[in-house]
Amino acid sequence: MLKYLFKRLLHGLFSIIMVVVIVMILIYSLMNRQLIFASDPLYAKRLNNAKYTYRYSKWEEYGYLDYVTYADYLIDLTVKGELDEETRKSAVSFGRTADKDTDIVKEYVAEFTEYYESRGYTVERLDAVMINPKKVADGGQQQLYAYKDIPLINRLVKYFTRLITVDNVNNVKDDIEDRGLTFTLFDPLYGGKTFSPAIIGNGTTHKYLLYFDNQFPFIHQNLVTINLGTSYSVNMGVDVFKTMTSPQGSFVLSEITFPTGFTEMSADNLHTATYISGSMTGNKVNEDRFDTDYTNVDLFRSGFSKMGYSFVIGIISVVMSYLLGVPLGILMARKKGKLLDKLGTVYIIFIIAVPSLAYIFLFKAIGGSFGLPTTFNMDSASKLMYVLPIVSLALPSIANLMKWLRRYMIDQQNSDYVKFARSGGLTEGEIFTKHILKNAIIPIVHGIPASVLSALTGAIITERVYVVPGAGNLLTEAINKYDNGVIVGVTLFYAVLSVLSIILGDIFMAMVDPRISFTSKSR
Amino acid sequence: MDYDFTGCGYSEEELFSRVDHNDLESEKITAPRYSYWHSVFRVFFRNKLNIVILAVLGVLIVFAYLYPMFIEYDRYANLMDAESKHLTPSAAMEKFGYNIHWILGSGGSGQSTFDAMWNGAKISISLAFICAAINMTVGVLVGAIWGFSKKVDIIMTEVYNIIGNVPYILFISVMVMLFTASFWTMVMALTITGWLGIAYFIRTQVVIIRDREYNLASKCLGTSTIKIAVKNILPFMTSIIVTLLATEIPSYISYEVFLSYIGMGLKEKSLGRLIFESESAMVTPGWEFEFWSPVIVASIITIVLYVVGQNLGDASDPRTHM
Repeated sequence: MLKYLFKRLLHGLFSIIMVVVIVMILIYSLMNRQLIFASDPLYAKRLNNAKYTYRYSKWEEYGYLDYVTYADYLIDLTVKGELDEETRKSAVSFGRTADKDTDIVKEYVAEFTEYYESRGYTVERLDAVMINPKKVADGGQQQLYAYKDIPLINRLVKYFTRLITVDNVNNVKDDIEDRGLTFTLFDPLYGGKTFSPAIIGNGTTHKYLLYFDNQFPFIHQNLVTINLGTSYSVNMGVDVFKTMTSPQGSFVLSEITFPTGFTEMSADNLHTATYISGSMTGNKVNEDRFDTDYTNVDLFRSGFSKMGYSFVIGIISVVMSYLLGVPLGILMARKKGKLLDKLGTVYIIFIIAVPSLAYIFLFKAIGGSFGLPTTFNMDSASKLMYVLPIVSLALPSIANLMKWLRRYMIDQQNSDYVKFARSGGLTEGEIFTKHILKNAIIPIVHGIPASVLSALTGAIITERVYVVPGAGNLLTEAINKYDNGVIVGVTLFYAVLSVLSIILGDIFMAMVDPRISFTSKSR
Repeated sequence: MDYDFTGCGYSEEELFSRVDHNDLESEKITAPRYSYWHSVFRVFFRNKLNIVILAVLGVLIVFAYLYPMFIEYDRYANLMDAESKHLTPSAAMEKFGYNIHWILGSGGSGQSTFDAMWNGAKISISLAFICAAINMTVGVLVGAIWGFSKKVDIIMTEVYNIIGNVPYILFISVMVMLFTASFWTMVMALTITGWLGIAYFIRTQVVIIRDREYNLASKCLGTSTIKIAVKNILPFMTSIIVTLLATEIPSYISYEVFLSYIGMGLKEKSLGRLIFESESAMVTPGWEFEFWSPVIVASIITIVLYVVGQNLGDASDPRTHM
């Protein structure tokens, strides 16, 4: 069994990698990369040559290509010691056009061109754009740079190696004292007297690597970070995973004592502090509150995360649909051809045939006429706003469960074991609950992990119609805003969940039905 | 010897009578003549509900395909007339006269909701039928090969696992961004991976039937694989394929509505596009017709197609022909 599982996991891993490959080909090679600037106000402001260089530097940031300017190249040489500072200074200012270069510039420009062209880069030199013979136009400074598209393999390797990062005491590049980890049983944030174990790092990116607090799931860690990909336009510069999991809503203020002893009403979550070089000194606000450069904190917010909202709504509707769908399906099978069965069939046809958008709007209209809130408001304390999204999600899955369970149970009714049970004198009720259901429920059990895990990804239409701030719309939003990092990240997340749910479904099925075995020894 | 039974209360028909041997009659095969498709339609029309639903389908097709041919529909004809926008049916009819165009009022650019609805229905139904035709053909053919060949099975299952995990809307959006969001782009986007699910379904069915005893017997007798596929397995699959078709066609209409709603649909004014554009009209008093009429037409089309397909699927199962 273990060997089989391992093989399945490997297969799943292969599928996941291939999915990422396909998505990367789709978005990095097939889509028009000019489109990423569609919602960038800075790009529209750039003029002339600055527009080109801005474009390349952005494309580099978001992984399309590798981009090096002439100045970067010279600095690199200086760092390596092949060039002294004096020569660098005289070599760096190249002329407005190529024939105005000094001899030393000519020499280094030729070297730069040769160095990068031999590595497959395209070297471009843009002459200065002049308004008049003396004055350079806005953004029209001369430019010299080289760029090269990143090959798929490199991009893939880079993506997967960056996927999981473990915090390390050498992460901070600055010269700081006492690098290392401290383990304490009394978290200093709680005054150092209450029992609350924590691991505090110095030199790590996060200050608190492990800590307890009063929020679910009570124990938190910052040691391992998942980086699914940086967002560009959906949530500027923030990782997809963080976008999905960080809380939303209005700030929650509470009395907070900062490391310097300063106390105020604040929403700062000091446990999330990360290092920002030189952020404390010279900044009055930070100097008053912090004693180290670990000043970048997240804020306490009142709402759940995107994934949190999706999951709460999703999981309640999943539970509801199993609680209602399974008994209704059984009833339909028992009363086959009777009124209840016919009503159920009408309902199933309605859900299958009517476009999902249409019936969600219908539920919204019906619910609204009963006075239920039809839009979601994060700051509202009312739990009623959850009702309509949950019902809208549950009703179609109830129909689906009813349809399949009825089908399976009716198929089982003609089996020999049912006839045998009946001839043995069992009542119809006993036959249904003890014999038929046990066999018919197996394919249903297979789908349970999938429905639970897919609650994490959210529902696109439902969340849009009821304005739920969930994760369901992340992918469509990212596609509409050409945010490649988010697209890759979300796809990877979906793929992992889907692979996991199939494997878990098989395990569940084998647990429920002892006849199913994944080892081939019986054959 | 002749016995006279007439006195015993039996009529002439109830008595045995002598039948002579007839060479010509004995050559005939006595089983009733059986034609598959004839029986399918006999069973299908036995249910009177099906006739009603077919009639509804007929009306829908006439309105979607013939009606737009006979009217001059210009969406922006009344664009400059501010008083023609968002009218209720009664107001519109008062303004434009009592004819069929205005029985559902007017929309945001002063267009007739009724005409817009049928133009949209034409686009949506065409899209659904074309996509279903392509996907079903490719899906059934590939699925049959997939089910028969063990080597193809290994490769295709892996392909299915991979492609199935790439979000569908990603393919569609990339297609839409590469080309313009025209009708044929949408057809391409919906069919580029759409056949895979059908092929997988058919493959599972083929695998189930492939190793049945009668096929093994047929194989032992030396029937070629192609003949087994066409003569032994395909008849078994007919009802499955028709049932599948019944769920596929409505699903494309539904999917088109969904795509339009998230802003990735057609540029043409299909039903989905109409629903998307008039979403705000749902809650505005007096504008409801603009929103609900495309929704209701889309729902009726999908329900009718689904029910016809399901019943045809039932009828095409030879076991119901008794």
